[in-house]
Amino acid sequence: MLRMTRRSFIQTTAGAAAAGLLSGGWLDFAFANQTGYFESQFGITDAICGRALAKALSRGGDFADLYFEHSLLNWLALEDGKVDRAYASVVLGVGIRTVRGDQVGYGYTQELTEEAMLAAAATAATIADGPAGAPARVFTPARTGDYYPLPRLFTAIPISERLPVVQAVNDRCFALSPLIVKANVELHTSQSRLLLVGSDGRRVEDLRPKSYLSVAVVAEKNGRREQARWNLGGRRGFEYYTPAIVDEVASEAVMRAGFLFDATQPPAGETPVVLGPGVTGILLHESIGHGMEADFNRKKVSTFCTMIGKQVAEPFVTILDDGTIANQVGSLNFDDEGEASQRTVLVENGVLTSYLHDRISAKHYGVAPTGNGRREDYSFQPMPRMRNTFMLPGPEAPESLIRAAKNGIYVADVTNGQVKIGEGDFAFYVSRGQRIENGKLTAPIKDINIIGNGPKLLRNIIAVAGDLKMHQGGAGYCGKNGQKVPVSFGLPTVLVKSVTVGGVKAGSQA
Amino acid sequence: MNPKLRELAQWAGDAATKAGAQQYAVTVGWSRFVNIEYRQRKPETVREAVERRLALSLYVNGRFSLQSTNDLRPQALQDFIAEAVAATKLLAEDPYRTLPDPKYYQGRAALDLQLADPAYAAATTEKRHALVREMEAACLEAGGDKLVSVTATGQDSRAEYVRLTSNGFTGEQETTNFNGGADATVQDEGDRRPNGYSWASSRRQNGLPAPAEIGREAARRTLALLGAKKIPTATLPIVVENRIAGRLVGELLAPLSGQAIQQKRSCLADKKGQKIGSERLTLIADPLVVGGLGSRLFDGDGMAAKKRTIVEGGVVKDFLVDWYYSRKLGCEPTTGSTGNLILPPGPRSVAELMKALGRGILITDFLGGNSNSTTGDFSVGIMGKLFENGEPVQSVAEMNIADNHLRFWQKLAEAANDPWPYSAMRLPSLVFDGVVVAGK
Repeated sequence: MLRMTRRSFIQTTAGAAAAGLLSGGWLDFAFANQTGYFESQFGITDAICGRALAKALSRGGDFADLYFEHSLLNWLALEDGKVDRAYASVVLGVGIRTVRGDQVGYGYTQELTEEAMLAAAATAATIADGPAGAPARVFTPARTGDYYPLPRLFTAIPISERLPVVQAVNDRCFALSPLIVKANVELHTSQSRLLLVGSDGRRVEDLRPKSYLSVAVVAEKNGRREQARWNLGGRRGFEYYTPAIVDEVASEAVMRAGFLFDATQPPAGETPVVLGPGVTGILLHESIGHGMEADFNRKKVSTFCTMIGKQVAEPFVTILDDGTIANQVGSLNFDDEGEASQRTVLVENGVLTSYLHDRISAKHYGVAPTGNGRREDYSFQPMPRMRNTFMLPGPEAPESLIRAAKNGIYVADVTNGQVKIGEGDFAFYVSRGQRIENGKLTAPIKDINIIGNGPKLLRNIIAVAGDLKMHQGGAGYCGKNGQKVPVSFGLPTVLVKSVTVGGVKAGSQA
Repeated sequence: MNPKLRELAQWAGDAATKAGAQQYAVTVGWSRFVNIEYRQRKPETVREAVERRLALSLYVNGRFSLQSTNDLRPQALQDFIAEAVAATKLLAEDPYRTLPDPKYYQGRAALDLQLADPAYAAATTEKRHALVREMEAACLEAGGDKLVSVTATGQDSRAEYVRLTSNGFTGEQETTNFNGGADATVQDEGDRRPNGYSWASSRRQNGLPAPAEIGREAARRTLALLGAKKIPTATLPIVVENRIAGRLVGELLAPLSGQAIQQKRSCLADKKGQKIGSERLTLIADPLVVGGLGSRLFDGDGMAAKKRTIVEGGVVKDFLVDWYYSRKLGCEPTTGSTGNLILPPGPRSVAELMKALGRGILITDFLGGNSNSTTGDFSVGIMGKLFENGEPVQSVAEMNIADNHLRFWQKLAEAANDPWPYSAMRLPSLVFDGVVVAGK
């Protein structure tokens, strides 16, 4: 369904997943560092690429590119104590784009034949209407980062090796607490082979892994039930899922479920908020990250579109979007336009410094791309997207922020959020927190939406602690214009002067 | 229907059997879509493709897996299926996992649901562009000086789908979809640039509002967001607009699913026959609406589609239980999905309702939020209009409502006369009394 909204959202856990896959006939070519994958498996030569690019530029255009993908996603799921279902999904295809100024023609095909590629290229070419352009004759492989080495391909890891990991999380949850009545455990793995070939001669190849181990538990106490979930993962291989990780996934979920029995929805109204470290980084993703994506600013539909160079926050606030952090789920060796990944500074000492660019917006603003051009898969055109977004640590101690808040809300876990780019209004959903009364953490709270305005919130950050923590989940994704991409985020403990808490009773917070 | 899809489905089923699967269900889908987006009176994006995908449920030695692929090269597919069958054998047994009893396949309605528009074949590139240009032009004209950006989008698609199972089910469906929408941004005070939109979906080209109407509506809705503020926290009646009411109804339906009930994630598991909402709360799942966006003759299990009353006069009548969870729960299956969802409209318009209420908030959109199906607690951001004496007086934003679904639906006071036809959630605007709206 078409969603006509310039609205973006984020989710820290995947919802109920749809379809899936197991193995896939790939065991024969199991070298993670192998180049020439699409040539060896599908006969995609530079000559074929050159002809497809020539077709894409047959009516002119600034440039064209081809994005080949062969992805294999597998997941195993446990319900009622047994790993009794497996899912697999294969995604194969090439997306062909012709760019003319800020206009894009896009065609794609799942058949990696020259005939099908030429047809898709002809579709892309319709965006232009001038004399034909000529692509480069030589494609030069680019060097990329190596932020997620994969010691063993997922295709080389049989189900028999994966099963015990999934089972162990379940068994650990039930061992940890007699209150647990249900556990759903999933192990997701995916590996994507990617090749980007551009009419300017660029040729970049990557192997992108992504995986996570998740559990959702239900606990029961005195006839009441509560649910909680947790996951760990990233751009990580199977070797990550050690007994220590199994234990952490299980104990984090079980702790959360137990905590919720005493929690209530707090009263509604404006109040000081202290955000604990880690997953609360969603705050940055919503309050500033999306608004700094350059496509929104190029179109003047972001509240931040006139703020570059301006002081938007206190001098102790520095916010980054970084695609080069090892194994974080938002990291990229190169982006989906073939640009090298990088660390981009959004806010430096309180001053708005750079948008997040793809090639189209970078050209529009006359700056270098920032490596933020991303797409969900080969069937979509790239656009500016976040990678791993976080705030640098500040000078304060976390406890002093709680004392300074005096009366308010402490946010520990956030599950999802959303922003309206133009207004800057955002919301994020707090699944776990506590009240702050007289500078101390008191009664637990849950299930409330916190709502605010991005630029206002940035101005209202009045203290930052030194305890930056990156979220280590692998299930989180960000949605924009109908495309989902994996992202991560992080935050040190932060004190915000005042935000609206959507509680249940009209009344003051104190 | 394309006979090649049937052939491919049968071929894949045979390959699964040959590889050692005792039972299977296979679906093969084909679709073609065109998407055109305009901004600044020129095409911003033109996107078009044809796609095919095969999904295969395997039942092997009492074990189950679900495979999906778009790599349909014969050898690749054959290898994929053989490896999938071998891998499935390594899973734990699941005695509940079977194909449905074929008796549930019987009794398919002898209806032409008219899900594919014969006019689709007449769509041309020129006509598609003209339609989107018209939406954009109308929005630009209606938006006036305050506009900073307008994007108009048209999308249409045609899809075919075949499902076969090893225990005798065959089903086919052919659909078309037409979508049109416009999205506008206006300059407000300071750095605020409110963004609003209007969109519609239909099975038929002529089921959509006129393109100019979509464009004007997008402008009108966006201009209505100007000057938005949060007002002090208060307990007020709210009117939830038809086009967004599906969000709240969807949250109420989630704990009615067989999976939620069996997995103890349902706040409604013990509420069958009990009152969970006001007299006004009646929810009907009707997959047999002619031309409906959620219409179908059989559900995801292949069970013949039937109209069902889920909630009547506030009382839970039926759960949404698919074949698998009916086996786990030891009950009769109903269906895992609603098809189209209907809440009977009332006699009055939204304007009349606002007049009768005097003061309240008309909610025109939600922001963020979530709902906990285990406890029923929910919280969501809202925007819209404060009305007094039945007249809109102030745009509101950065506000929120929170409640528990077990209490909230008791507050449903009335449904308006405006069921929304452009979605499978064919809901009218809804009035709730005494809701805490959080702001300043």
